[in-house]
Amino acid sequence: MQGCRALRTTLSTLAVMAGMSGGAAAQELTVWTLTGAVEAENAAWAQIIEEFEAANPGVTIRIEQRSVDEHKAALRVAARSDQGPDIYFMWAGLGLGGEFVQAGLSAPLDAYYEQYGWEDRLLPSAMGFTTAFTEERHGVPYSFAGEAVYYNKALFEQAGITAEPQTYEELKAAADALKAAGIPAFTFGGTVNWHLMRLMDVILETKCGAETHDALKAMTADWTTTPCAVESFAELADWSANHILSPFMGIDQAQSFNLFLANRAAMMLEGDWLVGQISQAAPIEGFDLFIFPTGTGRLYGFAEYLYISSRSEHPDLAAKFLDYLLSDEVQQRHLGAFGAISVNRNVEYQDVGDAEQQWLDIFADHSEIFVNGDQAFPLDVTTEYFRVINEVAQGNMTPEEGAAAMQSFIVNRG
Amino acid sequence: MTLASRFFRQPGSAHLDPILVGLWISLIILAALWIAPFIFIVFTSLKSAAEVMGSSAFSPPADYAWENYSAAWQRGNFTTASFNSIIITAIKVPLGLFLSAMAAYALACVRMRWRKLFFVVVLFGTMIPFQVMLAPIFRQVNAFGLINTYPGIILPYLAFGVPYQVFILHGFFSAVPRELSEAARIDGASHFVIFRRIFLPISLPVLAALFILDFVATWNEFAMALVILQDSDMWTLPLGLMAFQSQFQSNYGQLNAAIVMTVLPAVIVYLIFQRYFVAGLVSGAVKE
Amino acid sequence: MMRRSLRPQAEGYMLLLPALVVYLIFAFYPMIDVIRQSFSEWNGLDAQSRFVGWNNYRVVLTQDPVFWGALVNTVLWTLAAITLPNLIAFGLALALNQSLPARGTLRAIFYLPVIIASIAVATIWRWMYDPFFGLFNSLLTEWGMSGWIQDWLGNRKLALWSVFVAHLWSSVGFSMVLFLAGLQGVSQTLIEAARIDGAGRYAVFRHVTLPALGPTITIVLVLSLINSLKAFDIVYGMTGGGPAQSTQMLAMWAYTQAMQLGSFGRGAAVSVILLIITLVIVIPYLRWTLRRSTT
Repeated sequence: MQGCRALRTTLSTLAVMAGMSGGAAAQELTVWTLTGAVEAENAAWAQIIEEFEAANPGVTIRIEQRSVDEHKAALRVAARSDQGPDIYFMWAGLGLGGEFVQAGLSAPLDAYYEQYGWEDRLLPSAMGFTTAFTEERHGVPYSFAGEAVYYNKALFEQAGITAEPQTYEELKAAADALKAAGIPAFTFGGTVNWHLMRLMDVILETKCGAETHDALKAMTADWTTTPCAVESFAELADWSANHILSPFMGIDQAQSFNLFLANRAAMMLEGDWLVGQISQAAPIEGFDLFIFPTGTGRLYGFAEYLYISSRSEHPDLAAKFLDYLLSDEVQQRHLGAFGAISVNRNVEYQDVGDAEQQWLDIFADHSEIFVNGDQAFPLDVTTEYFRVINEVAQGNMTPEEGAAAMQSFIVNRG
Repeated sequence: MTLASRFFRQPGSAHLDPILVGLWISLIILAALWIAPFIFIVFTSLKSAAEVMGSSAFSPPADYAWENYSAAWQRGNFTTASFNSIIITAIKVPLGLFLSAMAAYALACVRMRWRKLFFVVVLFGTMIPFQVMLAPIFRQVNAFGLINTYPGIILPYLAFGVPYQVFILHGFFSAVPRELSEAARIDGASHFVIFRRIFLPISLPVLAALFILDFVATWNEFAMALVILQDSDMWTLPLGLMAFQSQFQSNYGQLNAAIVMTVLPAVIVYLIFQRYFVAGLVSGAVKE
Repeated sequence: MMRRSLRPQAEGYMLLLPALVVYLIFAFYPMIDVIRQSFSEWNGLDAQSRFVGWNNYRVVLTQDPVFWGALVNTVLWTLAAITLPNLIAFGLALALNQSLPARGTLRAIFYLPVIIASIAVATIWRWMYDPFFGLFNSLLTEWGMSGWIQDWLGNRKLALWSVFVAHLWSSVGFSMVLFLAGLQGVSQTLIEAARIDGAGRYAVFRHVTLPALGPTITIVLVLSLINSLKAFDIVYGMTGGGPAQSTQMLAMWAYTQAMQLGSFGRGAAVSVILLIITLVIVIPYLRWTLRRSTT
């Protein structure tokens, strides 16, 4: 074992030397984030980095962008090596960002909040997760997203739907009307499990109400003895059997979006970022949106954060970069690139399009949110939640079996 | 006539065999099916998004959308990925073969204590698919601090390449007549010299075959790279293709262009060295 | 002078050592380490792992909703992978061993998919299976067979076999070449002699060709067995285990548990179970090879 350790030291020394030969005294920051949903987001990052590098000679910032699932996996792996980023993107819920915070992988940022006065600059609702898991503050909000139903105006007209559904019953009636006109109501991509999950989440909110839904997601309520859980699975099965553009299990979210643009289905349950995506591809006037009528008054959405890794060797520099990213000037200039609204409360909104304005109103109207299932649950439960949703949606599990599977998994994990 | 006079005969028979003619026609049809996916991919890679959705699957592209290739090359960061693939393959393949050849020589031709034990231990490695234990390999590489480095991926590649190559070369070296090396030893040559002067030269055909097999395997390897190379600047081509698929799946033209670019180097190498492929497999696994 | 004084055995060790050391550290040790890991729990984020005895095995075998499905898939896949592609390959090899025009080109075509990265094979086939714009469904529509249109990778009854077809396409060539190599070893004079003695096509095959191919068949079976246990890239690339984990396999489930869900202990337990299955099948072959290579 001694020999093994010696070899280990030698090899790591070699690796370190190989790594060092590149830059001498230069400071390098690595940022891991998602590939931007719209080109504007990628362009904004590139520009911000360029400006920051110009203002801080000797600093290089490396940005690494991945798709959703790859990013999650890579970050998990990096957590155990010294190869991780200085700043990383993560969703702020318990199951994702929260777990990293609890494992001590995120650096507490209280000092920087004080130093830069972030508290006075950021939206309070967006900052909600900074103190959700520990006494200290972790992460800064990057974007704050809401999800709603986008619909194709022409197809609604074709099916004789004149008003946006205000209740769940009206939504189902609209779906029936669409079906009668030969139009599938929704399109989802089944290969990325989180897409169909959105439907289950909003149905749970509708059928269970805010309190019970939260209890189910917090795993304090029993899925089998809470009638609305079974009911929700039954609704999900009904939607997927009758109202989703089929086949949907074999396609992903991007493909379902293409089908939506091609008028193959009337609605999509998507985030505020879709406004930008639609505008890139088609005339936005053909589409409109409404909040999924859950009846609880809460907005379906989530916050995305940027965290400074506790392993970062340049936390001060990382904070400085975040400060620049969150500054009034940068946020104003790149408004819309990171999401419909900025996390900076000083930003002013002018000349916004109708769809963007609608989102601004939605954010202004809603003070409470309920988060996506994959952010509410710990990872292993999320995986099981995905599986059960897919099984029920494909008719391989009855709603009762679905609820039972969820509950037994939760009980077993203790 | 000349075709019929040379082919379609059973051994030792002068008559044309109708069954063989029928067999040949069905083989041609099957081969057409076999190669159809390639044609489909190449065609799609040259179609614009609108044409992919509008035109028939096997209709040739109306106008060649070569920009799919440049766009995919750029978006998929293929410059970095091909560079990494080349570096890793260029180091791993020759080095691995050399280490394996030395070890195989030692196991086959040098009288050592525990020789049989060592051989069994190595042989054991040919049977264990590394896909079974990706996480422990990751942990081990991580313990050396080598995640996201060239040595970090090359060392496990070597480790899992050694057994099969040693096994094949061992078989080859064992078949070399004893007198050859014993005569040299009496002349006072060391094993190093015998290995380098006698055994290495005569095993060149086998080494060439193994080289090509290993080149293709290393070039194509995905699972181990997936766990060890997390940094997109270290990605190899297969990882780049996977990332491209998950990010731009709905851009069919570019996706197919990315496939073509990933696959092409291996196909070219194969077409050039085709003969050795078969020769290598013959001399290796199926030795009698 | 130094070299002269080295004993042959020492020289042997020096030749053997580099390969052996790398192999022992990066291939053999992880195999031992995974057994140790399977008795502890580590989420990948904490500093320390803790010993939990047989708990991981208990959880995996009794509570994991995916494990048994993955095991069944692995077994089905393996059985299919050692029979179907090899039968086709055997047929192709016999046919391509006859005197036929363009024989070399045909061989090359059937072998071509083998050299393509399995992740690329996955991407190619995933695109051909695309329910809306992919090859199969477009062709079915064109031929007026819309009733046959399927969600090839989204329907859990089909998905595993859709993936398998892609595997078949990419693996037949490999076995074919091995069989062809074996056929080279079948004595032509023996065949001609048998034919002169009046033996028919089938009799020649049954009594001359087949017996001579014995060792080849064993090797092909074992290699395709080991290859099928490796089924990782192609499943990862085509379905990621979905829909609803219905195409999940043990190797990928071990990876998912450890690397994606951060449950290293359970992932290790799955790995160990798969290792044991592999060993049970492979050890008889190991002994057979050893006997062959030492005689």
